[in-house]
Amino acid sequence: MAADSVHKVIFEHEGVFIHPSSDEDTIEQDLLVSGSLRIIDKDGEIIVEYRPLEDTVDPSNMLCAGKDSSSVVEWTQCPGDRSHQLLETQQSYETEWDMINAVSFRKRPCSNREGSLNHSHERTRWALTFSVSELRSITVKEEGWTFLICKLKEASTPLPALHFHQGGSREFLESLRRFALLTESPDDEMCLLVSTPNKALSQSFENLLDDNSFGLVHKFRKDPYVATLGGFSKVTNYIFDALRGSEEQHQRPPEEVADLLGEVIPGLEINQQEEPGFEVITRIDLGTRPQVMRREPVSVDNWTKHQDPEGRMINIPHLKHTIFKGGLCHAMRKEAWKFLLGYFPWDSTLEERKALQRSKTDEYFRMKLQWKSVSEEQERRNSRLRDYRSLIEKDVNRTDRTNRFYEGIDNPGLALLHDILMTYCMYDFDLGYVQGMSDLLSPILYVMENEVDAFWCFVSFMDQMHQNFEEQMQGMKTQLIQLSTLLRLLDLAFWNYLESQDSGYLYFCFRWLLIRFKRELSFQDVLRLWEVMWTSLPCLNFHLLVCCAILDSEKQKIMEENYGFNEILKHINELSMKLDIEEILQKAEGICLQIKSCKDLPHSVSVILGFDSNISSSDPTGCGSPPAPRPIQRQDVCSNGHLRKNSSHNSCKVAFIS
Amino acid sequence: MTTKTSLLKVILLGDGGVGKSSIMNRYVTNKFDAHLFHTIGVEFLNKDLEVDGHQVTLQIWDTAGQERFRSLRTPFYRGSDCCLLTFSVDDNQSFFNLGNWKKEFIYYADVKEPEKFPFVVLGNKVDVTERQVSTEEAQRWCQENGDYPYYETSAKDATNVAVAFEEAVRRVLAMDERTDHLIPTDTVKLHRKPRSAVPCCS
Ligand SMILES: Nc1nc2c(ncn2[C@@H]2O[C@H](COP(=O)(O)OP(=O)(O)OP(=O)(O)O)[C@@H](O)[C@H]2O)c(=O)[nH]1
Ligand SMILES: [Mg+2]
Repeated sequence: MAADSVHKVIFEHEGVFIHPSSDEDTIEQDLLVSGSLRIIDKDGEIIVEYRPLEDTVDPSNMLCAGKDSSSVVEWTQCPGDRSHQLLETQQSYETEWDMINAVSFRKRPCSNREGSLNHSHERTRWALTFSVSELRSITVKEEGWTFLICKLKEASTPLPALHFHQGGSREFLESLRRFALLTESPDDEMCLLVSTPNKALSQSFENLLDDNSFGLVHKFRKDPYVATLGGFSKVTNYIFDALRGSEEQHQRPPEEVADLLGEVIPGLEINQQEEPGFEVITRIDLGTRPQVMRREPVSVDNWTKHQDPEGRMINIPHLKHTIFKGGLCHAMRKEAWKFLLGYFPWDSTLEERKALQRSKTDEYFRMKLQWKSVSEEQERRNSRLRDYRSLIEKDVNRTDRTNRFYEGIDNPGLALLHDILMTYCMYDFDLGYVQGMSDLLSPILYVMENEVDAFWCFVSFMDQMHQNFEEQMQGMKTQLIQLSTLLRLLDLAFWNYLESQDSGYLYFCFRWLLIRFKRELSFQDVLRLWEVMWTSLPCLNFHLLVCCAILDSEKQKIMEENYGFNEILKHINELSMKLDIEEILQKAEGICLQIKSCKDLPHSVSVILGFDSNISSSDPTGCGSPPAPRPIQRQDVCSNGHLRKNSSHNSCKVAFIS
Repeated sequence: MTTKTSLLKVILLGDGGVGKSSIMNRYVTNKFDAHLFHTIGVEFLNKDLEVDGHQVTLQIWDTAGQERFRSLRTPFYRGSDCCLLTFSVDDNQSFFNLGNWKKEFIYYADVKEPEKFPFVVLGNKVDVTERQVSTEEAQRWCQENGDYPYYETSAKDATNVAVAFEEAVRRVLAMDERTDHLIPTDTVKLHRKPRSAVPCCS
């Protein structure tokens, strides 16, 4: 583009595909157009642009070892011996790398699609440009990946669907939301109607309010999505605040902080008013909380009893149940975690697992080679890679440094932590590195004592945690809302108290949720908690009940001392390293049983904990008691302001994960 | 007025890794922990002190520097009495970013009179020998951007840390005397044109 300099690129994502064969059901690999999708601010007009890929190459898929690089495969012989010292492993990696570095590179044979769409005019045929204000709707569809169908207001023929084979659809929609209001169509929950904010409206707001409200109006204009979705009631509150003037200056900050957080976590503020259309959870008698006992960790013996001669795991539900009840003895973790995390299939034989490890090793080093082979010159021109690297370097030096595995200056554990995180950036360049990820990797690497296995286990764990780290942190928002729903059911009085202290959105649980209690518990306790969680027992989102269990232990103090917004945050932060994991797990399981046996469970709660489906009938653990029949109230209203009853909200969210 | 203790909220802002948490810990606990974790979420510590006869409780807020967490960090800017813009003298980029931090703060803290707001600039890690930002450069930036006090600190060996916080308190108290004075005459609206220097979202 000639006038690139005046355009601001707001969003850019490569790896968006058009399938020129109009039939969406038959996707033939060789008929794909790959390209990049952008949102551009062109002198104030917001343009969506799709451009088929020419030869732009992104570093994340630029280089791979040539086929002749057999050394990568050979390396797989190394991790066999169990007793190796870390330091030696590290050195052997490096020697292997010396060999690989000598191998020639070639540009990735950009798959078979190059063949059919070779001519540039063929490609440019698929270029698209339209203004956001021309958009009528976007339909979100899911087929293992997400694709979006954009309809324009004027056009008679629909635009070709945009297939996000490499993720990014959510980010695209989030970016659009900065400029347009996307609302679910009443007829089709997968269809988002697009309307562009009314300039006149915000203009009149500006005139209506004097300088006092400068911040608000500006926010409204800059971020119409947040401001409007926060609800007009929110806006009126602001206006009210602004008009009240500064007399209450000293009362206002916590309230305002809470208001702003409420905007960041849309959905929560709806709780405050019991609006028609939302299910209101009134005090429900949950009955007494059953006492449960924890058990001994699974021993090596116990584990081997669950293995057939070929190495397949058998009687898995029972095994998972025992892990849930007692965790694993440390000696067993290295093997068992690979299954729990899904790196090893439970029904694989020993032979199959060896083959899997070989191919995964190959794959790992192919990706590792990609960043290892970026020259300083290249890196100078690649700010994203540079930023990832600099963040990783800083964080590796600040992760579990008192643990013997990572302490000291030249500890090989640090180098491994660094390399795995860098390779993860290559594995998922869109996400790259976000603070908190080093905390998630550290225990896994500590247990695996092996770079490749740790990487793939980390990948599996990140699959679960991915949303927490994405641009809009949807995972965090969803979890905070869900936690609020649960807490409200379990302890309305406490929830009301928190609400009265502007803390009903539970912001103080942020760190707990972002990195699954990694900073709250001692290292050994983190290992225990995580393996228990990875059994996926006894319900969905068990970690939220862990939150409830901890809060249950703290509520008395918080309420008796009459803690306000700041004190609550401080108190929760300071619980770090003072918690007893077995006690917490015991209580959390008890809470699960208690909720499970409740007869009039609000639908939203059933959904969060997965009691909605018929999981319970096949639940091998039964949580120790027969699952009570749970007549779920079917109401045609939104539940609790969190999850909409008809679950359209929910399924929409799911559809956006690509 | 001199007998009562006032609570002042100060916030440390700056790129990840410049030493915000280390500075806060040095000041409040007088310790330097080289094994500190990077910050996730938001934390604060209180510290009582006396400055020029005023009893003050400082509430020092510390946040995570990474861009991704902006939306969960910025709400806490509200109600700050002072902002400590922090960079590390061995990291050029963190110095270049000072301007962005300042803009982000002004915008989200909803500061009424940005040109009068008390910022203090800290160039941390002066104990490190390989500097990338010179004292002169840093001082020039401070002068050009609103005549902010500048301190070269080291959380590691405690250089200038207490001094910087005390200066922050002084600036706030000086502001307060002005506003205390202003309150009775509040009917006079100070009209301020929206400034164009608003940070950009991208
Ligand atoms: N030499 C030296 N190192 C320091 C100093 N202050 C902090 N550090 C080190 O710099 C690194 C970053 O310090 P932190 O205090 O964690 O930085 P931060 O600004 O809080 O970073 P985030 O929490 O990621 O936003 C740590 O390894 C500290 O030990 C200093 O004055 N001198
Ligand atoms: Mg910090």
